[in-house]
Amino acid sequence: MKNKITRFLTRSLIFILAVCIVVFGFLAFFMNQRSVQTINKVGVLYMSGMNEQKTKHFETVIDMYLSPLEALAETVSSEDEDKEALRRNLTFRAKEQTFEALAFYFQDGTFDMIYGDPIDSLNPEPFLESLENGTKKVSAGVDSTGNRVILMGIPLTDYTAAGEECIALVAALPIDYISDALFDDEKTSLLYSFVIRRDGSFVIRQFEEFRESYFERVRVLYEREGGKDSEQYIKELQEAMNNRETYSTIFQMDGERRSLYCTSLPYSEWYLVTVMPYGKLNQEVDGLSRLWLEAAIVGCLVILITLFLVFLKYFQLNQQQIQEVAEAKRSAERANEAKSEFLSNMSHDIRTPMNAIVGMTAIASANIDNTKQVENCLKKITLSSRHLLGLINDILDMAKIESGKITLNMERVSLREMVDGIINIVQPQIKKREQQFDVCIHDISTEYVYTDSVRLSQVLLNLLSNAVKFTPQGGSIQVSMYETESPKGKDYIRIHLQVKDTGIGMSEEFQAKIFESFMREDNTRVHKTEGSGLGMAITKYIVDAMDGTIELHSQKGQGTEFNLTFDFENAYEQEEDMMLPEWNMLVVDDDRQLCESAVQSLKAIGIQAEWTLDGESAVNMIAAHHDTHQDYQIILLDWKLPGMDGIETAREIRRQLSEDIPILLISAYDWSEIENEARAAGINGFISKPLFKSTLFYGLRPYADMDTGAAPDGCQIDFNGKRILLAEDNELNWEIAQELLGELGLEIDWAENGKICVEKFKQSPVHFYNAILMDIRMPEMNGYEATDRIRAMERPDADIPVIAMTADAFTADIQKCLEHGMNAHVAKPIDMREVTRLLGKYLTKNL
Amino acid sequence: MTVKECYEALGADYEEVMNRLRKEERVQRFLKKLLDDKTYALLSTSLQTGNMEEAFRAAHTLKGVSQNLSLKNLYVPASCLSDCLKERREYTEEVETLFEKVKEEYIRTTEAIKQL
Repeated sequence: MKNKITRFLTRSLIFILAVCIVVFGFLAFFMNQRSVQTINKVGVLYMSGMNEQKTKHFETVIDMYLSPLEALAETVSSEDEDKEALRRNLTFRAKEQTFEALAFYFQDGTFDMIYGDPIDSLNPEPFLESLENGTKKVSAGVDSTGNRVILMGIPLTDYTAAGEECIALVAALPIDYISDALFDDEKTSLLYSFVIRRDGSFVIRQFEEFRESYFERVRVLYEREGGKDSEQYIKELQEAMNNRETYSTIFQMDGERRSLYCTSLPYSEWYLVTVMPYGKLNQEVDGLSRLWLEAAIVGCLVILITLFLVFLKYFQLNQQQIQEVAEAKRSAERANEAKSEFLSNMSHDIRTPMNAIVGMTAIASANIDNTKQVENCLKKITLSSRHLLGLINDILDMAKIESGKITLNMERVSLREMVDGIINIVQPQIKKREQQFDVCIHDISTEYVYTDSVRLSQVLLNLLSNAVKFTPQGGSIQVSMYETESPKGKDYIRIHLQVKDTGIGMSEEFQAKIFESFMREDNTRVHKTEGSGLGMAITKYIVDAMDGTIELHSQKGQGTEFNLTFDFENAYEQEEDMMLPEWNMLVVDDDRQLCESAVQSLKAIGIQAEWTLDGESAVNMIAAHHDTHQDYQIILLDWKLPGMDGIETAREIRRQLSEDIPILLISAYDWSEIENEARAAGINGFISKPLFKSTLFYGLRPYADMDTGAAPDGCQIDFNGKRILLAEDNELNWEIAQELLGELGLEIDWAENGKICVEKFKQSPVHFYNAILMDIRMPEMNGYEATDRIRAMERPDADIPVIAMTADAFTADIQKCLEHGMNAHVAKPIDMREVTRLLGKYLTKNL
Repeated sequence: MTVKECYEALGADYEEVMNRLRKEERVQRFLKKLLDDKTYALLSTSLQTGNMEEAFRAAHTLKGVSQNLSLKNLYVPASCLSDCLKERREYTEEVETLFEKVKEEYIRTTEAIKQL
């Protein structure tokens, strides 16, 4: 894939490079050609203009000399007899005109010199011919010293001198006169000109050009240009001259391109040839072409570099994308693998209990009459089914989590009840595996919090059952819990939970991914352990959802420790009077922290307590107190104690003291197994760890009742003259209530249903009733509605205490009572103590 | 037959009722009142007429009454019936069986009380 793209990009780049070079090269070449052509055209145009100008100039110059000569000629007439005078006159005037010489020209081609050096025509035939025809003519000639001169002839019509026919008057001028006039401006100009005859011989030439004939010169110096050789060129030129046409060409001479332009000159058989060497122009043009080429190359490079950069960036982006795609693919594959592995594990795990169920069912039906075996089979089927159900529940939970459907159901939860419940669940497993189990609760001052107890229990259960599962027989498992201040504010508390075991531990690699779904350490040690591999993922998810943290410390072979922290909102337990008589108590436990926190909790419920760490010292302390007649009222003994254990200690206490001091056993273990032995040893009861304030209160309260049974508490409260409205639809129930409450000195009015209750209350004077006892399920109007109506009345006593009475003791019902504005709830059948306590609380408050 | 014997015969909790009402004479008085109580009749007719709301309330009351007198034998089926109707106010087979049980215990209880 990568190679393909690289190859494609390289090829594209090369292709574009080639296209660029071709296009720009062509452009440069073409433009160069065009500019050369244009320059040529311009040159030709320019030169034709120049030639025309020069021709005109030549004509003017010639005219300048011809006109005075013509005037001279007019003075010559045959009537004039005085030839000598004529000659003198002519000489005088001709000299005035700076003519070098003047002569009569005769039909036979001879000159009769009037003055000056004798002259001769270089090309007499055409000169003679034109003059004979009466046409002015200019021609080249030489003087006696061989200097070249220009001859100008004006025909004479009827003049005869010396007998012979004289046809013209001819004057000679130094050739320089003409050439200077003609070519004066050329010294600064690019071009140069010369005048030739039809045969190519020079008439006027500039510079020191060698050879007498231009053609000769051409033959020597000409270099091929445009496919023409020198002869061809000469031929063309001659032809043009013969036809008196203009001629222009470009050729190479002397290593230099030249443009040539040829026109015929008037009054003569001469031709003006102007040559423009391109030298300088060429340099300019070449410079321009070079510039063009350079610009093309630079442009090309700029485009190529830009393209290259674009390609590079594209390539990089592409690479990145490919990598990302590959990464995504890999992770998808990983997830897929994990899922497939999970599925195969799962099908194995599901099949195992399923096999048991199927097999056991078959065995049971084969031995249908053998009750014992059927029973055994059914037991195994039950176990397998339960396990299967657990697996399926895990999968369902995970599916819920993965689709984000799991929500927390916040409610008021008693941490004590929750921990108690969990310990009850795991105890049988722990016992089965003969593991040490210890629950440590310290410094928990808040019992009620808002949380999702089901999910929190699930987390703890999962950690605990893992601990049990992965700890070998005889290992130890410890759960500790303590409270600190929460950073979330004073309405919150932070609960730290620790589940610690001395199990097989986990490898570092596995620790890193323990919270991922479908993970189970792949290890033969673990393979025989059942489980979905989802537990920890679910745990982690729930902890996260609760804004808690979970930390893991584990070492292979050493054990595992999970630390959890949660910030729970304090649900502030309703300050019911959790007070017990001012007893002196002794707490015996080998855990100092537990002792201290238990003493603290006991103090909170009004009990003075001392503590000690072992059985022996406990016995001594009890004996010492006995001697000073300050017996402890109740003794709390831990079951597992170093040295003498709880039961032995109890036995010892009973042996020494006959006094019936209640001795209670505290333990995290199930009491049922040791109950008989404990009872035999003289232990009165059992309180399960963890020791919350409420655990202690409810555990100890029966002994308070026993203690004060003779004189029921509450009865001390004087209810005389207090009036109570009792809403109860059943007459029998009403009579019982009336009878019992009447004993307390209360006056009771009966309302047969909610409606009557509301009516009666409405018609009573303010503060006539001190409280209402409200049944919930009544005809006409139920207790909820009746309470709503009473609360809605505009009376100063609309906040009268309303105590619900119902046989429904479900928390949901109690919750509903409180929601409807009732103050408290008592369960039926009426427990007089509870009713008395509540009435005492509300009626005394009302006073 | 004493109250205690009556309770024992019915399988009800004598100790509990004494704990609550304290006097045997009082327990006996209330037991006699049970014979005049219309709750059972209401339950029976409500079920026959299909007034399930009323039936539920009657079952609930019967549960309360029997609980008040610690008549466990009657309390248990009445409570079951009440719970069943609480969930769904429908006349089902389950309701029918539960009512049969209530009926049986009610008759047994009233017969025993009459012998006091």
